[in-house]
Amino acid sequence: MQPLLSIQNVSKQYGEKTVLNNVNLDIYPGQVIGYIGPNGAGKSTTVKILTGVIQDYTGTVLVNGRDIKEDILGLKQMIGYVPELADLYDLLTPNEYLHFVGALYNIPDNLVTERATRILQSFGLLDNMNQRMDSFSKGMRQKVLLTAGILHNPSIVILDEPMSGLDANAVIVVKELIQVLKQEGKTIFYCSHMMDVVEKVSDKIVLINKGSIIANDTIEALRDGSSHSLETIFAQMTSTENLNETAGNIAQAMRSNN
Amino acid sequence: MNKLLLFLILLPKALWKGMGADVGHLKAILKVKLMLDDRRPIAMGRQQTKKKKPVRFMTALSVFLSMLIGFMYTFPLHLDDRFMGLWLYFSVFLVMLSVMLITDFSTVLFDTRDKTILLPRPVNERTLLLSRLLHMFIYLFRIVLPMSLAGWITFGLLEGWKAALWFPFAIILLTIIALFLVNGAYLLVLRFSKPGKFKDIINYFQIAFSILFFACVYLLPRAVSEEGFQQLQHSAYPWAVYTPTYWLAASWSWIEPDLIWSSTKWISILAVAGPLLLMWLTVCYLSPSFAKRIGSIDVVDETPAAPVQKVKGSRSAEGTFYLKLANLLTRNPLAKAGFSIAWLQTDRSRNFKMRVYPTFAYVPVYFFYITTQSRKPLAQIWADMPETSIYVLLLYMTSFVVLQLLSMLVYSEQYKASWIYYSSPVARPGMVMEGAFKGIWVKYFVPMFLLVSCFVLYVWGFSKLLDIALAFVNITLFGLCIMRVAHRRLPFSAMEQMNEKGNRVLKTIFIMVVPMGLGFGHYWTTVTPWLWWMKIVFMILSSILLWMLWDSYKNTSWDEVKKVDLQ
Repeated sequence: MQPLLSIQNVSKQYGEKTVLNNVNLDIYPGQVIGYIGPNGAGKSTTVKILTGVIQDYTGTVLVNGRDIKEDILGLKQMIGYVPELADLYDLLTPNEYLHFVGALYNIPDNLVTERATRILQSFGLLDNMNQRMDSFSKGMRQKVLLTAGILHNPSIVILDEPMSGLDANAVIVVKELIQVLKQEGKTIFYCSHMMDVVEKVSDKIVLINKGSIIANDTIEALRDGSSHSLETIFAQMTSTENLNETAGNIAQAMRSNN
Repeated sequence: MNKLLLFLILLPKALWKGMGADVGHLKAILKVKLMLDDRRPIAMGRQQTKKKKPVRFMTALSVFLSMLIGFMYTFPLHLDDRFMGLWLYFSVFLVMLSVMLITDFSTVLFDTRDKTILLPRPVNERTLLLSRLLHMFIYLFRIVLPMSLAGWITFGLLEGWKAALWFPFAIILLTIIALFLVNGAYLLVLRFSKPGKFKDIINYFQIAFSILFFACVYLLPRAVSEEGFQQLQHSAYPWAVYTPTYWLAASWSWIEPDLIWSSTKWISILAVAGPLLLMWLTVCYLSPSFAKRIGSIDVVDETPAAPVQKVKGSRSAEGTFYLKLANLLTRNPLAKAGFSIAWLQTDRSRNFKMRVYPTFAYVPVYFFYITTQSRKPLAQIWADMPETSIYVLLLYMTSFVVLQLLSMLVYSEQYKASWIYYSSPVARPGMVMEGAFKGIWVKYFVPMFLLVSCFVLYVWGFSKLLDIALAFVNITLFGLCIMRVAHRRLPFSAMEQMNEKGNRVLKTIFIMVVPMGLGFGHYWTTVTPWLWWMKIVFMILSSILLWMLWDSYKNTSWDEVKKVDLQ
């Protein structure tokens, strides 16, 4: 089967610093990829390349066998992106913001209204549809961003910490949504630090550290017969120090008098 | 300055201790509050004193500006009728102080962070209360002292040492009245508006204040030099007796009993009784009810799910006025998106209103200032106006607004939200920019220009229609020049500090030269009657240029936007 998304020998540098170092990754339709890594590992840069925001990298990114640089707009139309810590024009109402985003994706107004209403209703945000977002909580904003990300019915959904600020019920909704989208054949690229969620929802886990992919397999294969959680596997593969000792040092510092 | 104030305020340590406060905590809180005051832009200097100014100068700048304002309205003290002068001086002082407090005091009073930062710490209530009171005292002291200094010195020089001793006493009473007015104004606003709207209304006060300040700078000297000002008599204004500032002026009779009329003497009792009564009202009624309502503002700020502002236009986005206009004036969805975002953001951004709305007032104020430079009586100036060509200047003055308007279309506090343009399939950013330009043009420039044009038609007649049309094309051309040369970016996508980068001197010169050139060209054809046909030539040339620029602007590519980003 041809991969839907194929990242081949992709590298990216900021000045002298190499952020991505020869990354190779194939993603197939209907797959949920859990993309994890420590802070500064290169996750956001990968996401920015996949969404077409960064274009000055070396290597190739293919979508359906076609280089995205040849048709960047086609790629953007296929991708739904929910960024981490995303800012939005919060002086607008969700209704106005979603119509604005809809126009950028060339979706007819009536379709935006219908989809936005239904999605926001599912998120329990319908009553707030015509209220300005500057007084929204983090979770409410996140729901609007999620709605904006899937409004154009993309075939690839890139979620960067999508559960951030969501209440427990909304987290369940999003986890379920990921499964439903997967069954519909959509590809999900899921970046998060919440290891338990990644472990549960992902078909494959890709672990990036210092710009290179150091693991790319199913959770079962990563466990290699052990009963370790993803959190433990992550710590083993990415941390050079003893984390228990670090916590002990902090507690000791609190107790010091001089 | 802060160190000195802090040192002085903490001198009576024993007193504060005796009142139950922890002096260490008090010092720490006041130190941080004064530091925060320093880093907060002040009302009247908001446009000039943005982030680039060294932080430590903010207090000194505030003191200097207060002194300047204080000096500006010492004119009335020189009136022949000294009593009239005092009344006028106190009245202007009261208005300025009240408006200044309403605009700036709110940031001190509504620092809701106190709740989350200070309340969970082991600081006792007395310390908190005292820190708040002392902070307000320092705040008032920093405004009132420099603001009254010029008046104090002037009055002392004019009337001698006794008057100089009496003056600060009157100012203290006046400050009490101002505090009452400020508390009253806040309460009134809170009573008739939802707490969430409070900040918007304060924003309008700030706008009104900057217009008032600007108008005073330009128009006061003219009004003072008007014939008859020097001879103003308080007896001509019998209603003045009901104003508290009249009572304050009357209290001068305690020092100079011979100079004041017996009929006004008894009123001087009100100078003390009035403020005392107002202080009692403030402490017993206004402040407690005010504190309660401040609480509700905090609630709205901190509990997002609480009832928030509904926006006109209700359920469906269709059918609202701006969308009808967007559909009418734009051809593709991207331009429509640009039109909508420009329309909605400018509708609601406090920063935008603060920066742009006062510039609308500059046009009439400057026009009045320039036309009255001849020192002729106003009636004469008005009668002679149709014979002049000053309408050309008036029409081109609207480009002040254009300059401010357009720079605010690109810069925003929410510039980070522009990520959406980069991740969505926008083929050419120029399409979004085109829509945004149209939006802001139709919403702000066209109505203002129509208003100015109506005035021109009323005064100068319909023969000026061609001039109006030429000015409209030229100013639109100027606006597009600004956008094409200096602000070739997506709407609300750039950080504001970038606005201040000094690497665009040439561009700025170019931007200033273009409207001046166009305006002078137009003026030249107006004052040289046989060159009337040149207006048509200008019109054709400007229209061609406009079309070419528009084409280039709306076809702006991603590469061109990125190039500007890298500059």
